[in-house]
Amino acid sequence: MTAPPTQPWPVPRERTTSTAAKLIVPSLIGALVALALGIYGRVHSPTGVAINIAGFSSPGTVKSWLATGATVFAIVQVGSALVMYGKIPRVTAPEWIGGLHKWSGRIAFLLAVPVAIHCLYALGFQQYDTRVLIHSVVGCLFFGAFTVKMLILPKRGLPGWVLPVAGAVVFTLLVVIWLTSAYWFFSTFGIKR
Amino acid sequence: MKRNTPLITLLVGAALGVILLVATMLATPSSALPASYSAATASPAPSSPAPAESSEAPEQSAEPSESSAATPGQSSTAPAAAPSPAPTRTTPTRADFAGRVGGGGGSVAVAVHGDKAIAYVCNGSTVEGWMRGKVENGKLTLTGKNKAKLTASIHTGTVTGDVEAHGTDYSFSVSTVSKSSSKSSGLYQATAVVQGKTIKAGWIVQDDDTQIGSLEIDESGRTAVTAPKLDVATMTARIGNVVLHAVPVSGVTGSGF
Repeated sequence: MTAPPTQPWPVPRERTTSTAAKLIVPSLIGALVALALGIYGRVHSPTGVAINIAGFSSPGTVKSWLATGATVFAIVQVGSALVMYGKIPRVTAPEWIGGLHKWSGRIAFLLAVPVAIHCLYALGFQQYDTRVLIHSVVGCLFFGAFTVKMLILPKRGLPGWVLPVAGAVVFTLLVVIWLTSAYWFFSTFGIKR
Repeated sequence: MKRNTPLITLLVGAALGVILLVATMLATPSSALPASYSAATASPAPSSPAPAESSEAPEQSAEPSESSAATPGQSSTAPAAAPSPAPTRTTPTRADFAGRVGGGGGSVAVAVHGDKAIAYVCNGSTVEGWMRGKVENGKLTLTGKNKAKLTASIHTGTVTGDVEAHGTDYSFSVSTVSKSSSKSSGLYQATAVVQGKTIKAGWIVQDDDTQIGSLEIDESGRTAVTAPKLDVATMTARIGNVVLHAVPVSGVTGSGF
């Protein structure tokens, strides 16, 4: 996907593209995604209302449960990744662990998207207190970081630390988002549907 | 093709986002905003340059030179409340004051309606308090739950004094809020019953449209949290399954007294 810098002599491309060169374009795209979300959230004047999803009492509860779902699947992500990398003693990776990792990630991401849309459309990027500011910033960063991870996943020949670091960053950002939103919501107003 | 599944995941997520955004936009046309409260401090819907609210109290006397300029053509971005208004009567009978406390750690709003006054101080989080009391010879003495108290005096469009809530002391000097019909600055309150508890939210909206609000989580008023954002266009705020409907607390109109 990356166009490598023109080489003065012909060489196999896969070998000579440095780690930095492989990461730069995905990182730039991810940064643009985060920036675009933040700018939209800041510029668009929040409506305070948005469509609701059936079965829940309010947008706040819908978002809290969707975010909690995404976080649970993200925990599955970390667990399955640890198994795949052989970091859990006495556990050998079963055949289906790759599928579990991929699908838990896809579901977590798809659960997070409606939450983000509601945040951006109805509430916007806000900074009226610390929790809200952290949530706004990290919310934008999360989708940027996720984009980076998805774009570097298919790349071959990356150092072994790249994917674990990217995954850890994405997971950490999601947990911060959850703590500053759903956890705050449930602990303030009680756990309800 | 197998290598590109992460990209497909991304694109599916992006497509889902776009679909939801479009569906949301179609479901919430800007003209569908509920009618705002008729008080002078309620703001018109942002999409329509609303006609001038006609409920400005004729008795208003805090800033006679400024209040007559509250026309619909007035720029909504102009900071209207001049900090040094022309000398006038030292005891306005009806006026609303709001501003930040000394040090900027919170806001205070005072609504004076005849010989009565209501005040609210909050830091947008755990420190806040509602107070009521009397106005005598330009002196305010207000008290509230949990030993909240405010003592202040009114001079030429400014209220200066001290306020204490939840054990925190602030000194302040705040001016009258803008009376332009395009502004929503002022004090707002909302109450609701959530899980058997009466919660009460208060918001102070400044002339520059910044707002700060706290929410008492039960009737005792001992514990407060950050209030959800007040949408000044719809005068609502949402927490969980509860939509809080805010009403202005205004000495000018008498709302909330």
